Amino acid sequence: MAKARALDKRRKSIRNIRKITRTMELIATARFKKAMDRASAATAYTRRITQVVADLAHAGLAVSHPLLEAREKTEHAALLVLTANRGLCGGYNGAVIRAGAARYHELKETIPNLKVEVSGKRGIALLKFRNVNIDRTYTQFDDQPKFDEVEEIADRYLADFAAGKLDRLDVAYTRFINAARQEPVVETLLPLGGLDIDAAAGAEKTKKPAGTMYEFLPSAESILEEVVPMSFKVKLFKCFLDAAVSEQIARRVAMKAATEAASDMIKQLSSEYNRARQSQITGEIMEIIGGAEALSG
Amino acid sequence: MAQQLMCLVVTPEATVFDEAVEFVALPLFDGELGVLPGRSPLIGRLGYGELRIRQAGSKTLTYYVDGGFVQIADNVVSVLTNRAIPAERLDLQAAEEQLSAAVQRHAPTDDLQAVRERQINQARAQIRVASRR
Repeated sequence: MAKARALDKRRKSIRNIRKITRTMELIATARFKKAMDRASAATAYTRRITQVVADLAHAGLAVSHPLLEAREKTEHAALLVLTANRGLCGGYNGAVIRAGAARYHELKETIPNLKVEVSGKRGIALLKFRNVNIDRTYTQFDDQPKFDEVEEIADRYLADFAAGKLDRLDVAYTRFINAARQEPVVETLLPLGGLDIDAAAGAEKTKKPAGTMYEFLPSAESILEEVVPMSFKVKLFKCFLDAAVSEQIARRVAMKAATEAASDMIKQLSSEYNRARQSQITGEIMEIIGGAEALSG
Repeated sequence: MAQQLMCLVVTPEATVFDEAVEFVALPLFDGELGVLPGRSPLIGRLGYGELRIRQAGSKTLTYYVDGGFVQIADNVVSVLTNRAIPAERLDLQAAEEQLSAAVQRHAPTDDLQAVRERQINQARAQIRVASRR
């Protein structure tokens, strides 16, 4: 009896685990949809900002801004790593950390003053384990990062960059390509490099061959002055959103696999349990028959 | 009406408003600008202030917008802003606190002075929008 009961107990506990992983999968799916909506809203915003820049370029304005220019010597750099606050999402955190750590060692060789900033409890723990000195941590970002919170961080970077305390900013995060593909990447956000002007201008030309003559209020320069920091903020925000969406997808996939594995295990344990019970019954019958025969004989 | 004006208000978090309108009043960087159908194309920098949208049937919506840009082309007004808060949801008390904190702040350098000024302007604009209702 002991073996059959033990098997039954295990089966029950696996059933409970399956219930939990299944629920987590459903939650991740719902959160993914929400995060996805936000990400697509941000995409609409980015597209329009790019269009404004394209229109500015179209008006014959030389696009130049301190944020766009690379520094001659990079002495102060920052690396921001975006990970999840919680685990149980497969290789999501590990992949970002690997990408981030590779960049960290690369930068460390050339740049004397490198700061590491991490968002997410998992990333903090994993980087500590890798003996990386972390200068700043964030744990307030969940599956729906707020623009205000990201803007605060962006403002600090912009102030540091303007004051010469920061020459380069790299962000390691998981880029969302589509629902089936996300990849860990490290992007350099400061200096901004190009503003995708050529691509935007190209799209503009195919759409409106004549080009619209815009009136600029108060002036094109003043708008440019505002557009560049803005597009940096939006880019950073997009990184956070992409990371959030990818996290939910990774969690959904991991939990789906866990649920399936639990189902398989339950099936196997059930058949084992049935066999054990049957053999036990057979054994008992044999005993009874043996006893009866001994009495009659 | 021959032409229909569309108004689109986008923040990085969501699309706040996307409907046909009769008239839009925009808080530009250096003053208010009214837009009616048939406006010539324009790109403008927004300041902190009140965005008024009048729809058919003289229904007026009021938002507080927090800087950003506006692009007008082909009878579409696209407002890109960090934040667009409906006037009835503004927190008057928080704005007043921000104003008094900013006014009292000591700002020795140009950068800090700029931050202080921005906070004062933001708070004043919020108070103005909230109390006009």
